[in-house]
Amino acid sequence: MNLIRNMMISCRKATELIEKRSLFGLTVIEKVNLVLHTSMCDACTLYEKQSKTIDKMLNDKLGSEEEEVVENPGLKDKIKGKL
Amino acid sequence: MQKAGIAKDVIAEWVDAYSDSMYSWALHKTSSREMAEDLVQETFLAAVQSYEKFKGDSKAKTWLFSILNNKIIDHYRRAYKNPTVSEQQQSDAGSVSLFETMFDSDGRWLKTNSPQEWTGEPEHVLDDVRFNVTLQHCMEVLPANWNAAIRLKYLEEKKAELVCQELEISTTNYWQILHRAKLQLRKCLDENWFNK
Repeated sequence: MNLIRNMMISCRKATELIEKRSLFGLTVIEKVNLVLHTSMCDACTLYEKQSKTIDKMLNDKLGSEEEEVVENPGLKDKIKGKL
Repeated sequence: MQKAGIAKDVIAEWVDAYSDSMYSWALHKTSSREMAEDLVQETFLAAVQSYEKFKGDSKAKTWLFSILNNKIIDHYRRAYKNPTVSEQQQSDAGSVSLFETMFDSDGRWLKTNSPQEWTGEPEHVLDDVRFNVTLQHCMEVLPANWNAAIRLKYLEEKKAELVCQELEISTTNYWQILHRAKLQLRKCLDENWFNK
């Protein structure tokens, strides 16, 4: 039981690991810590899910997708004036 | 002189042909009209300066977009690396108050800020113009360097290790900033949209 208690990380640490994982991956111990924590913590399980949703949103929003062309005639004149 | 004149004529034609699509692209990436205009303008001025380097073996549009993309990324790199004094204070104070409002002293979620199930359909929410306004707002209220850290992650489309090398920061520094930014962004979206 002590071993498990020692392996238990806080919610703050768990959310940190969730973000670290999406950038750099985790060590084996970190993975075990995180799985153990989320298996017992509903709030962090939700955080994990919502964090992924936000990642996907930002990727769709900021990623390389061709957007509709917005015309800006004022800008054209402004730039030509400066050339 | 004559050469410079030719460059200007050619580039004036490019302004007509490409400035709208460049502006749209920059607007999509920065979500700011003013910033998008400045970046496109700087791109054309840089193109005049380095017209000699344009070999014509790539398309003009490709060349211009590569200059523009560098300018966009540079902008956020600078915002990340050189925050103003007040931005740095905002970031430091933001970190302290963020952790205090989210977690108790043992690092457990405080009841008031613990994540709740999101209502609606988060997968399709970007189709809603009003949600995009909310998302934009939630990004803008982040400390400037947190906002820049998030944007760089998605703009660069590179491995995070490379982003860190280019910023000359440790990987730990980077994910800690992103952790704070994500906690705050999640809370803002929760309060202003999903559990309004």
